[in-house]
Amino acid sequence: MIERNTPSRIVFNIINYTLMIGFGLACFIPFWHVLMCSISDPRLLMGNSGLVLWPLGKPTLEGYKLVLKNPDIWSGYLNTIIYVVATAVAGTVLTALAGYLVSRKNFKLAKPLALFIMFTMIFSGGTIPLYMVVRSLGMLNSRWSIIIPTLMNAYYVIMMKSAFEQISPAYEEAARIDGAGPLTILFKVLLPMVMPTLVVIIMFTVIMQWNSWYQASIYLPRTRDMWPLQLFMREVLINNDTSRIVTSGNEANAMVNMTGNLVKYCVTVVGTAPILLAYPFAQKYFVKGVTMGGVKE
Amino acid sequence: MSVKTAQPLSEKKAERKRRGKIGGSWKHDFLMNKWLYILTIPVVAFFLIFNYLPMAGLLMAFENYKPALGLFKSQWVGLQNFKDFFMGPSFWTILRNTMVISLLNLAIAFPLSIIFALLLNEMNVLWVKKLTQTVSYMPYFISIVVLCGLVTEFCSSRGFITNLMVSVFHIPRENLLTNPDYFWAINLISDIWQNLGYSSIIFVAAITSVNQDYHEAAALDGANRFQRVWHVTIPSIMSTIVTMLILKCGTLLNVGFEKILLLYNPSIYSTADVISSHVQRLGIGQAQYGYATAVGLFNSVVGTVLLFLSNHISRKYAETSIV
Repeated sequence: MIERNTPSRIVFNIINYTLMIGFGLACFIPFWHVLMCSISDPRLLMGNSGLVLWPLGKPTLEGYKLVLKNPDIWSGYLNTIIYVVATAVAGTVLTALAGYLVSRKNFKLAKPLALFIMFTMIFSGGTIPLYMVVRSLGMLNSRWSIIIPTLMNAYYVIMMKSAFEQISPAYEEAARIDGAGPLTILFKVLLPMVMPTLVVIIMFTVIMQWNSWYQASIYLPRTRDMWPLQLFMREVLINNDTSRIVTSGNEANAMVNMTGNLVKYCVTVVGTAPILLAYPFAQKYFVKGVTMGGVKE
Repeated sequence: MSVKTAQPLSEKKAERKRRGKIGGSWKHDFLMNKWLYILTIPVVAFFLIFNYLPMAGLLMAFENYKPALGLFKSQWVGLQNFKDFFMGPSFWTILRNTMVISLLNLAIAFPLSIIFALLLNEMNVLWVKKLTQTVSYMPYFISIVVLCGLVTEFCSSRGFITNLMVSVFHIPRENLLTNPDYFWAINLISDIWQNLGYSSIIFVAAITSVNQDYHEAAALDGANRFQRVWHVTIPSIMSTIVTMLILKCGTLLNVGFEKILLLYNPSIYSTADVISSHVQRLGIGQAQYGYATAVGLFNSVVGTVLLFLSNHISRKYAETSIV
């Protein structure tokens, strides 16, 4: 459709583009600010109050050196990766399995099972009873507490169910006639056909687990060596405690404060970069996942 | 030869089909789907343990629960925990805070995400549009810890936002996070910043699928751009809007506590404490398990009622429903 550029249209366009680009900048600048702060001169950074759009003073990697020397950051990274991989792999397999079971047409348990799972979307026991269950299973202060309770949820099972239901039963029938068992059918025939849904679920699981801190904060109160990266980031960013990264040694106190301030930005970059770098590749699936509906907020 | 072998096979199949239709017995189904039954066990076990067992654990709400005594030996106190909550000094405060924070989100952030999608659709320079879209989703990916780190920095007494507020509105310079008057605004704006792009995706998709014929027809009838958006685009995406609205209403009491736990401090409990943060602080923090469970139960029940209520209303008046 061809639009005529009436004066009011031009005025609208100017306002519209200004607003939208303004919001885009507002989304982007905080990231840029953190990145620029992280390579600024700590002395100048200390006195600064405002947005930093260009490194203050001579760019330096001092902060990163300190952060990467810190064993907490490394163990946090390792733990986060363990939690992300374990949940993504085991969780996706289980979710696919559950979705497969509830989408079977000639399986008498399919309907009751679907109801059993979907009821959990309507009503839940809440945080404290779940905490008690995890506690009485003896999972407190163990890695299992971060992995197991998040393996499945009703939303993803329903997504898998509708993906399976869109596959023509002929494929399954053909595989069955060739002598394939249910597991072979699921993993060799059906799963490749629901790849897009699977990727969406994996992606959201990875993002969720990478960014999660709350579960770890209540389930792992005493096992620092199992903390995910986000908990160390909380210590530095929210509780303002950089003492473990910046050891005072024989340096002056003021110097410690300054470096501590710099280190905050470096930790933010180190903890956020992986997910943001992966984002452009994931964007396609990300949009698809949201429009599929049923994605948990 | 081939005819002979084909005969029994198809007969067998027909037989199996017949049995499948008539023989609806569980025993038969079990024999046919033995593997499916076995695979059901881990799935049922998971939901039983992590979703249904906590529901049974709601009994704690009626007990003076002590972990050492367990669910069955703890002292039964009836409705005492609920009384403590409803009569307690902070009940009205946290209920008000929860409602205000939720309704602000519903009244401002929600319409903004629709407006954002509509405005995005009006952008004709494709690369600018794509770039704006991409950048606007970015904040959704950062963790709440990082978001709160940014908020803490910008709102500190020498932070960027504080500077802006001091010079524009001439407010006294202070750490904005220690003044209860500002918390609702800080929470709302950080929420919009993080989620506006993300929550607009669903509307962008709905707008894209609007039939262009309607637009052409409206244009032929002399409708201008704004009239076409008002009379064509918005009615076309109405069912999406209503669906999202129902979902929002169902979670009206579930104000996310993660951000609040990271941002609040005792000096702003008067505006920042909500039901879920109250539950977490007293339940996990102070080990008042029975009381916190009672508060959580109240939250769940009201949430479920709200979900059904909003769904019912929308089915009746908007002819759209999700359940």
